[in-house]
Amino acid sequence: MLGKLDWSAIPFDQPIPLVAGAVVLVAILGVLTWVVVKGHLPYLWSEWITSVDHKRIGVMYILLASVMLLRGGSDAIMMRIQQAVAYQSQGYLPPEHYNQIFSAHGTIMIFFVAMPFVIGLMNLIVPLQLGVRDVAFPTLNSVGFWLTATGALLVNLSLVIGEFARTGWLAFPPLSELSYSPGVGVDYYAWSLQISGVGTLVAGINLVTTVLKLRTRGMNYLRMPMFCWTTLASNLLIVAAFPILTATLAMLLLDRYLGFHFFTNEAGGNVMMFMNLIWAWGHPEVYILVLPAFGIFSEVVSTFSGKALFGYRSMVLATMAICVISFMVWLHHFFTMGAGPDVNAIFGIASMIIAVPTGVKIYNWLFTMYGGRIRFATPMLWAVGFMVTFIIGGLTGVLLAVPPADFMLHNSMFLVAHFHNVIIGGVLFGAFAGFEYWFPKAFGFRLDERWGKLAFWFTFLGFFITFIPLYIAGMLGMTRRMQHYDVAAWRPWMIVAAIGMAVLTIGVICQIMQLVVSIRNREALRDRTGDPWDGRSLEWATSSPPPVFNFAFNPDVRGEDAYWDMKIHAQQQSLERDRPEYQDIEMPRNSPTGFVCAFFATVMGFALIWHIWWMVILGGLGAFATFVVFAWRDHDEYVIPAEEVAAIDRINLEERRSLVSMAGTV
Amino acid sequence: MSDQSHARSDHDLAPGEEEQHSVGTRILGYVVGLVLALLLTATSFFIAGTDLVWQPSIPVALIVLAIAQMGVHLVFFLHITTGPDNTNNVLALAFGLLVVFLVVGGTVWIMAHLNANMPPMDQIMRMQ
Repeated sequence: MLGKLDWSAIPFDQPIPLVAGAVVLVAILGVLTWVVVKGHLPYLWSEWITSVDHKRIGVMYILLASVMLLRGGSDAIMMRIQQAVAYQSQGYLPPEHYNQIFSAHGTIMIFFVAMPFVIGLMNLIVPLQLGVRDVAFPTLNSVGFWLTATGALLVNLSLVIGEFARTGWLAFPPLSELSYSPGVGVDYYAWSLQISGVGTLVAGINLVTTVLKLRTRGMNYLRMPMFCWTTLASNLLIVAAFPILTATLAMLLLDRYLGFHFFTNEAGGNVMMFMNLIWAWGHPEVYILVLPAFGIFSEVVSTFSGKALFGYRSMVLATMAICVISFMVWLHHFFTMGAGPDVNAIFGIASMIIAVPTGVKIYNWLFTMYGGRIRFATPMLWAVGFMVTFIIGGLTGVLLAVPPADFMLHNSMFLVAHFHNVIIGGVLFGAFAGFEYWFPKAFGFRLDERWGKLAFWFTFLGFFITFIPLYIAGMLGMTRRMQHYDVAAWRPWMIVAAIGMAVLTIGVICQIMQLVVSIRNREALRDRTGDPWDGRSLEWATSSPPPVFNFAFNPDVRGEDAYWDMKIHAQQQSLERDRPEYQDIEMPRNSPTGFVCAFFATVMGFALIWHIWWMVILGGLGAFATFVVFAWRDHDEYVIPAEEVAAIDRINLEERRSLVSMAGTV
Repeated sequence: MSDQSHARSDHDLAPGEEEQHSVGTRILGYVVGLVLALLLTATSFFIAGTDLVWQPSIPVALIVLAIAQMGVHLVFFLHITTGPDNTNNVLALAFGLLVVFLVVGGTVWIMAHLNANMPPMDQIMRMQ
């Protein structure tokens, strides 16, 4: 009846996951009770859960990423403490639990923190920057988000029901095959990634289509803000690379469920094929994450330097070059697997070549700052911090791209330090910069600068205190994923790293405090003009938060830095149109399709993991029925009458006029 | 939303957005495509079993026929043309082909060289 599921699935003998699970459960129940008692449920349902508004979906993506960041961060804290104490002892985490923690940490941080964070920011900002009213497929967007949330839910469910994979974040066979991992851990891993992978692919198709097909009048490709370009490149990579991941995991699942032999040791399976395929996805994935961050830094650096981006066209070229070259370097993840010198040399050289466009970008940012009037607001701090950190990470990356050096350093703590250096220093700093920069746009008030700067400095310093010791430990020969060790020379570095982790944790607390303090002082921090940073691109041309239709009129774009141009023109020739002719606007209706689909996907995923076949069929039928109902809908748009558009737009126009006239007098 | 998509549709067509042709011409296009596709399929089956051609050339012939088949599908069913209204589709196709070429070609090359750093097993066997 319930497949493999029985009471033994709940780890009553392990206090850590049980207590953690209980705390999370109490928190969720508390929030739910508060929502129901206060009567917020209808509001949540109609304004958020069923919303197809790209801004709302973007915010929900970022919320999901933030919550998962806390989960993945707790895993990181536990690992650092374990390695600090586990010198010639077992530490406090038994091996099978420690193995689950590092697997869950990697899986969560990449798939459920970094991915939703960048996709959320792209969703929130790209339609605004392009001057359009929504993404190309609004309901599909909602489906994509909820499927991602399903994946995150399944991963976290494994904490209390069953177990998570003990195989590392990429579940390499033969360890992940049935003979070595008979439990449900790998199934949790694979099914949650399969389901959230569908969500990611959907988001990718949606954003590519949005950039290619929906741009406002005059928004040529070479007038798009840099963030739109990096979004295009990143989502092209999603569309091209995620099917590889899906196919690879599907083969692994066939091995596990139906006795196939794709990656088994026996019967003609080839383990190396899995490494090859998973990294053919895995390396583009790195650029899927970091390219949007590059776009965010381009926007931030140019805005806070008060200058147009230096070398815009070279930046576009560099972005597209990275987009293509990222598909030519994946072997550098397994130089040591046995390929001969000719193969290793070619992929090593390709890996070094991809550093060139990245270097071009760094110089472009530096030259953008050169001679500019720089304001060191929090987003700019993250951007400058990124440049310092990312250059170090990039240089150790070029070092690892040299095959002989890689033979010494592969799978060592040096590697661990390297990829945290680029992912934290690149993607996470970028996500935080974007969060600080666009928060006023999404919510209509700024974030507290004092707490923001504290958060930056603690995170920045904490990062170096944590990861420089890991570089050194790697040089001293420490390999990754060690549950305990007997080498005295590594111990001090592990202790320093644990201290660094504490500093990083203070940074996270500052970030939370910043949010709390800002929400409390929101009236004082209110941004009425919609343009708190003196911005340059179109998202600042509408109010904060933007109305549901984004722009009362589709803006006309005459050059790069569209909004900057408009501001200059407005100052020179008094003010634009005095009495604009408002028109009715059609917007897509909200739809519960995404949420209902994801509900059935969760049921189906859970049933597949536990081999509850009747439930699998039920979930599948439910999801398909939801799709059919949506496909047969009668009307999918509603009309906002011209008077309402006018009423909403006038308030913003007044504020903006007073801003422009003030700037004129200064 | 609608005003933008209409403004764009005259110079850049999305897949599924057809240019306005009469039903007759469109049906004719599909029929021609179907006949060509069937012809190519039949030829492939014929070539595979025949001894009328030099045997080692059969795989090459099959590859050529397969590529021709893809071309027929692209032109007659997916409506890829070289016109200016099709830039996005052609670029998407080119990017797709490039990625497939890199991943498949790279994989074949990598997997063929995986044993390069292994000790030569056959010689070790002979020594024992």
